[in-house]
Amino acid sequence: MYQRERERERERDYREEMARSTGKDAQALFHSLRSAYAATPTTLKIIDLYMGFAVFTALIQVVYMAIVGSFPFNSFLSGVLSCVGTAILAVCLRIQVNKDNKEFKDLPPERAFADFVLCNLVLHLVIMNFLG
Amino acid sequence: MAKLLLYLTLATSLIPLFSVAFSPENPTDRRVLVLVDDFAIKSSHSLYFGSLTSRGFQLEFKLADDPNIGLQRYGQYLYDALVLFCPSVERFGGSIDVASIVDFVDSGHDLIVAADSNASDLIREVATECGVDFDEDPAAMVIDHINYAVSNFDGDHTLIASDDFIKADVILGSKKIEAPVLFQGIGHSLNPANSLVLKVLSASSSAYSANPKSKLSNPPSLTGSAISLVSVVQARNNARILITGSLSMFSNRSGVQKAGSSIKHEKSGNEQFLTEISKWVFHERGHLKAVNVRHHKVGESDEPAIYRINDDLEYSVEIYEWSGTSWEPYVSDDVQVQFYMMSPYVLKTLSTDQKGHYSAEFKVPDVYGVFQFKVEYQRLGYTSLSLSKQIPVRPYRHNEYERFLPAAYPYYGSAFSMMAGFFIFTIVHLYSK
Repeated sequence: MYQRERERERERDYREEMARSTGKDAQALFHSLRSAYAATPTTLKIIDLYMGFAVFTALIQVVYMAIVGSFPFNSFLSGVLSCVGTAILAVCLRIQVNKDNKEFKDLPPERAFADFVLCNLVLHLVIMNFLG
Repeated sequence: MAKLLLYLTLATSLIPLFSVAFSPENPTDRRVLVLVDDFAIKSSHSLYFGSLTSRGFQLEFKLADDPNIGLQRYGQYLYDALVLFCPSVERFGGSIDVASIVDFVDSGHDLIVAADSNASDLIREVATECGVDFDEDPAAMVIDHINYAVSNFDGDHTLIASDDFIKADVILGSKKIEAPVLFQGIGHSLNPANSLVLKVLSASSSAYSANPKSKLSNPPSLTGSAISLVSVVQARNNARILITGSLSMFSNRSGVQKAGSSIKHEKSGNEQFLTEISKWVFHERGHLKAVNVRHHKVGESDEPAIYRINDDLEYSVEIYEWSGTSWEPYVSDDVQVQFYMMSPYVLKTLSTDQKGHYSAEFKVPDVYGVFQFKVEYQRLGYTSLSLSKQIPVRPYRHNEYERFLPAAYPYYGSAFSMMAGFFIFTIVHLYSK
């Protein structure tokens, strides 16, 4: 009888310790991510900010369409695709400009930027055409 | 000789100008053929005929079996209206028969039929063609033991005094008929499914139709206010027919006293009743014409050949009523116009300026196709107006749509903000260390 009570107490203690440790692990992970991100170069941080702005604008448009309805559907697609296309092109620029990326070690960053600009021009041409 | 010939041709060529007959410009009948059984009717019914001639009608009296009578010659009708005061005729003379009378009415002319007790089958057939069924028993008369007229002669209550008039100022005039109307003859019934016949004078609920000389062996078939004493029919081509079962109603009669009431009227209501109703039958009242149908876009004055959806347009029509001598403006507040394509998309009541001009403004519906402006006006006692004008409606042209949709402003904003963001980003990216 006593033995079973002691077993249950031990189980409870064990579970509490596990919960505390996962909580502590998550916090530790979060802290390590933040400190690692603080170490990235400013250039990449600017690209990340630009990308966040594009995704945020896309989310606003999706919420608006959910409220109002998709009446000028071509305009909705054009608006959302401009944001999504901008985000994608920013991601591509970030990959190519990142010095830690071994795949694009030989690519000059000017060439990457020129590609980025040209692709954006084509994107905006298509967007203005489809906007109606 | 040549001069005589010249005068003759001049005179005969001017005759058509002098005949003022029934025409769309002057709808009152003028030349009336009266068929009678014998010419004694001319004197016994002189008051009625006198009232007609004093209003300008040209009456021509002929015996019903006169072999020279005819309604038309060489395809043209000689008379504008026909009055049958011959209840006992077996065969009409000349070229008149039931079919020719029906053709006469079908061509738009008016008819008055008066039957009597022992009316012939021919007169009953004419009445049946017009939509009215007389009692099948040839000896039956309308008897009313409660609403009979007090008189020294008739003891079997076949002379009845009736004041159950239809409530229509167009048919019976605006002045109320004070004295009851004397009636002695056969009654008829109307088919309730027939929408063109009207009961102008109906018998009271205590009347019945039976042979006064014999005992009643089974209940009478026509009883109560289903018996109509005087009916009118307005055909779809606006010909008007008056049918009654008593020829003596038209005769010169004097005072009347209804049984059960102490009022003794000096003059019966017959004269006023028959004058007013023959004014209606001969198109002196209640005859409408609609002219000058116009439609145009609001703000313009010419009539376009095609409208676009969501246009504002205005429709106008002028309606006149014949007063017996001239066309007066018709004033009413219930004339409606439909914008119709298989079903009315727009139904609007026309507003009037009290001078006969009716107009309405409305927006063309958001449907394209071939529409009609329809005015269907049918009122008790008035001629029916049926106007329709076809007009097509087209959809928007490709450059008539809105250029920038307000619902899409956020998307326009996001596209331009992306371009602005791209521009600012390139500057920041190039000039940051």
